[in-house]
Amino acid sequence: MKNLLKIDNLQAKVGGKQILKGLSLEVRPGEVHAIMGPNGSGKSTLSYVLAGRDGYEVTGGSVEYQGRDLMTLSPEERAREGLFLAFQYPVEIPGVSNKYFLKAAYNALRKHRGEPELDAGAFLKLIKEKAKFVEMDPAFLNRSINEGFSGGEKKRNEILQMAVLEPRLALLDETDSGLDIDALKIVANGINKLRHPDRAVVLVTHYQRLLDYIVPDFVHVLSGGRIVKSGGKELALQLEKEGYGWIDAEKAPA
Amino acid sequence: MSPLVADASERFAALFRAERDRLPGGGLAWLNASREAALDSFQAQGLPSNRVEGWRHTPSRALTDTEFIAAEKPKVRARFAGRALCPVDFHRVVIQNGRFQGDDSRVTGLPEGVSVLSLADVLRDDPESLRTELSRPIPSDGLAFAALAAASFRDGIVVCVARHARLDRPIHMILSSADGDSGRPQAAHVRVLLILEDGASAEILVESLSDGSAPFWTNLLTSVVLGEGASLKHYWLQHENLTGAMTAATLVTVGRSARYESHAFNFGGTLIRNDLRVRLAGAGADCALNGLSLLRGDEVVDHHTVVEHACVGGTTRQLYKAVLDERSRFIFDGLVDVHPGAQKTDASVYNKNLLLSEDADVHTNPEFKILADDVSCKHGGAIGQLSPESLFYLRSRGIGSEDARRLLVYAFGAEMLERVGLEQLRHTLADALHARMPEENLR
Repeated sequence: MKNLLKIDNLQAKVGGKQILKGLSLEVRPGEVHAIMGPNGSGKSTLSYVLAGRDGYEVTGGSVEYQGRDLMTLSPEERAREGLFLAFQYPVEIPGVSNKYFLKAAYNALRKHRGEPELDAGAFLKLIKEKAKFVEMDPAFLNRSINEGFSGGEKKRNEILQMAVLEPRLALLDETDSGLDIDALKIVANGINKLRHPDRAVVLVTHYQRLLDYIVPDFVHVLSGGRIVKSGGKELALQLEKEGYGWIDAEKAPA
Repeated sequence: MSPLVADASERFAALFRAERDRLPGGGLAWLNASREAALDSFQAQGLPSNRVEGWRHTPSRALTDTEFIAAEKPKVRARFAGRALCPVDFHRVVIQNGRFQGDDSRVTGLPEGVSVLSLADVLRDDPESLRTELSRPIPSDGLAFAALAAASFRDGIVVCVARHARLDRPIHMILSSADGDSGRPQAAHVRVLLILEDGASAEILVESLSDGSAPFWTNLLTSVVLGEGASLKHYWLQHENLTGAMTAATLVTVGRSARYESHAFNFGGTLIRNDLRVRLAGAGADCALNGLSLLRGDEVVDHHTVVEHACVGGTTRQLYKAVLDERSRFIFDGLVDVHPGAQKTDASVYNKNLLLSEDADVHTNPEFKILADDVSCKHGGAIGQLSPESLFYLRSRGIGSEDARRLLVYAFGAEMLERVGLEQLRHTLADALHARMPEENLR
């Protein structure tokens, strides 16, 4: 099957510092990939480069998404083409209700696809269903975006956005961080429900525990700005047991 | 003082003298004395300029360098109803070019104990009822234009709400201006008295609308007296056009356990200068002063507030916000003056500004003078830009960068709308806020 995402020898700088040093990865529709690695290995940089954040400078390599050069697209164009980043630290925006925000985003996507905008009533019905789907109290829809939300509520709100926007490629950046076990289960459950033959998921995570609930097809180890090892789900268990030290040792002679 | 400014001061005085015999209440010795005293105060204070305290950052030349004539009757009567931002089912009083416009006003069916009248009419029919209020001297520190209004006013509005009476609906006070026959720059001096007796309550919305192509300056002086336990919500919608200017001095006395709320919304004008002086005169008196200004072009909005805590247990909450685009300027000066003995004062003064352009500027000065020792006082000023993190977050969900900016500007102002108790007004303001978003210009 054709690649949804093809990253080839990607190099990127942040604040003048080289973080990604030749990262390659291919993702096909329907697959779930986990990218694991120690702190500072470049996990978040990869997420932000793919989503198009300012200040992340690509210095080499290429990223193809649905056969197009992803780097030529603005962040909003990437989103409209079905790329979704669930943030590690979702931003609080006082004064804009969750509902209004979701509607603006949803209709921007529909407009991009040449579909008519959904009216207020139809949209309300849709987001209420989606809120139920991610086990979120509908009261949160009327609150300002992430304002005063707990860590778990913020992450659940990211999953709600994902459920509403139905991306083709979902990047989840440390979605498990800061969650207690109940919140983790709810978030994982939400992600599992969104697994679909047309949709790919890339989980970026430090710990294996999310992978107890979301079973990946592939696990990659990111270290020093490169993927240094790839394998099946058993690789995650090995990392959990033995840490990241042996990767570095294995890598050293190469 | 430069010769030009001195001349201008004399020009305003001469204008007053020429009009004096035609002004309402001309046969009343006490009123004439009061007008003369106000004119003396105006001349003693001198015209505002950048060398006068309180006007250092405020460009006053649009007022002092223009040869105004006393406002004429409008050449064409304005059709304000379609342009007024505010919903029309409130009680309505209209001042056009400084004159009460009875035909356009609609104040029928007022509750028992409430009167809404033209100031000129009251001075004709029952002048004694206003003698105390109109004989009260205007503070002479930095309120030159207020003194000029006290000398020169031609008309205005008097609202009285008797003991424990309450207004059933808000009063919508429209200050409308249009070109006169001569097409020359005009100045209208307007005086408003709002008197709420013990336990009375009212909501009053002042909306200014300018229509003319020649400069029009509305110089408004409002006196507010709130008796024990009285409550006034005072809303302002100031959207002058590019030749319109407004100076508004509001002097408020708040009695024991009474509450004064001001919500000022500014959407334009060559110059809008508000001087709001609140005296918390009785124990447990309370005031909340709010403002939101959306500025672009060369617009200037200036809020000078002084709150005097003269008694124990007073509360002040001030929050003024401004969004500045292009070359606009915003000035905020907020002083809270806590008198000796005003223990248990609880006061906060905040000014927050969002700069959308490098050419816009803000001068902010929240300040306290505290002569009591058991008080809680907080103040702060902030000037910021749109958060890149927030912009990226919105864009990463497919919202275009312009829409994302609009959304964040809206969000910045929305807090001030939420404080507006009148639902219809809140909706109106939300629409106005959307319409004033920066990118709207570019489309």
